Amino acid sequence: MRGGVAVLRWLLALSLTATGSAALAQACPATNPEAIALLEAFARRAEAVSYEGVLTLQRGNSLRMMSLRHGVADARVSEDLTLLSGQEARIVRGEHPLDCEHPGHRLLRLAVAPEQGACGLAGHYRISTAPGERVAGRHAVRLLLQPRDLYRYGYVFELDRESAVLLKGTILGAGGRPLEQFQFASVSVGADADADAERPPAAVIHQAAHPHPALPREDGDSGLRWAPGWLPAGFVATDAAGVHSVHRSYTDGMATFSVFVESLGEALRPGEGVVREGSTVSYTRGLTLGTAPVLVTVLGEIPVNTARMVADAVRQVR
Amino acid sequence: MNEALREALSAVMDGEGDDLALRRLLARSDDPALRAAWSRYHVARDALQGHTAAVNVDISAAVRQAVDAEAAPRRPGGNWRSVASFAIAASVTAVVVLGGRELAGVGDPSGAAPLASPVGLVNTLGASPVRASYGARPAPALQPAAADAYEELARQRLRLYSQEHAEQAALNTPQGLIPFARVPEINR
Repeated sequence: MRGGVAVLRWLLALSLTATGSAALAQACPATNPEAIALLEAFARRAEAVSYEGVLTLQRGNSLRMMSLRHGVADARVSEDLTLLSGQEARIVRGEHPLDCEHPGHRLLRLAVAPEQGACGLAGHYRISTAPGERVAGRHAVRLLLQPRDLYRYGYVFELDRESAVLLKGTILGAGGRPLEQFQFASVSVGADADADAERPPAAVIHQAAHPHPALPREDGDSGLRWAPGWLPAGFVATDAAGVHSVHRSYTDGMATFSVFVESLGEALRPGEGVVREGSTVSYTRGLTLGTAPVLVTVLGEIPVNTARMVADAVRQVR
Repeated sequence: MNEALREALSAVMDGEGDDLALRRLLARSDDPALRAAWSRYHVARDALQGHTAAVNVDISAAVRQAVDAEAAPRRPGGNWRSVASFAIAASVTAVVVLGGRELAGVGDPSGAAPLASPVGLVNTLGASPVRASYGARPAPALQPAAADAYEELARQRLRLYSQEHAEQAALNTPQGLIPFARVPEINR
């Protein structure tokens, strides 16, 4: 994986050089040292701590319950998430090396330690701290990320005071309106976490994918070469999807969105469709790329207008 | 079109435009790229309402006119409110949203200024049904068939692509596996 990480760093450096000239021209916005220290604990330490517990995800009127386990041994993370309400399903990721760094995590770390003017998250969010709540019987410190522009949402994280493990997260839309919230109802951290605790049954078990950061992902051919003509500032590609790929994803370190391009047999009447669930938007639009009729879908945890602008800018490339 | 302009357009489209965003747009309303983007958004929304798109309407002119009308001095006997930036932003959004036939009359010499006083408010969160009216004229009715078809496509794509998106979100946000909890139905 180390080779992959090196290549990934190089790719990222390249993309930052190409898109971040404005960021390079000026110093990173000042962030108070307390916030940097908390972010650093969150970005560097929390991942290496074992924890397990039961948490809820609330989106509008729907509430999902799940059990989560995050176990660390030999610098490798094994995780699983089992749904306790609704569908009987479990998502599993085994043996993910702690030093395997994906672009989103990289942007989080850059906010702590900028490199060559690249500020990561700090360029696009105002980061601050506040006294936290009590979550699942533990005392927390609050980490706030307020967006600096209108292309992304705000985040309020309650981090465990001792371990910086994420205990509760709220995603805020325009005007500070909560869009969704997840939080532990009960949690064991560190030595208390029982790695061998029995897991609830699950009819469907899904192994979380781990796209190689540098090898072209081959999971469907859209039949045409396309590129995003515009991305909101601070977003970079999450992996090395090929130009024909149906699907590409982008992250700013906090939010991600994915763009899907499907070739259509015939042109749809122009129009757009929007569906929202919690902080997720699915924006679908009929377009013509060159002469090819396509359906472009932008799906992610971003405001609908960002999705609309991304879809609008999708271009055919030679 | 530069970033500040894009953001101003985004803000106004989202109903979050303030004076500054609006001034930026108006100051640059001769920018062909801005006009093109504006026009494209408008066409998308217009089609959503089942109108035949009037693609080349010069929206910026209509917006100027609307703002000029809003900014006109209080008329004797009239009930003009003082100019609030929100009212202007709302009217700009309404212009962008309603577009089409409503705007086609704007440049018509015989047409009275149709954009005088937006009393309704636009539901600015995306492509939801629009409620607005200009003076006494009712807003154009939605044609459910077209709007529903696209909304259904968006709903299907949400189901179809959520898991693939969650794979990326789980690796690139600090939320670990939690993004998978947003997937309507987990597949193997």
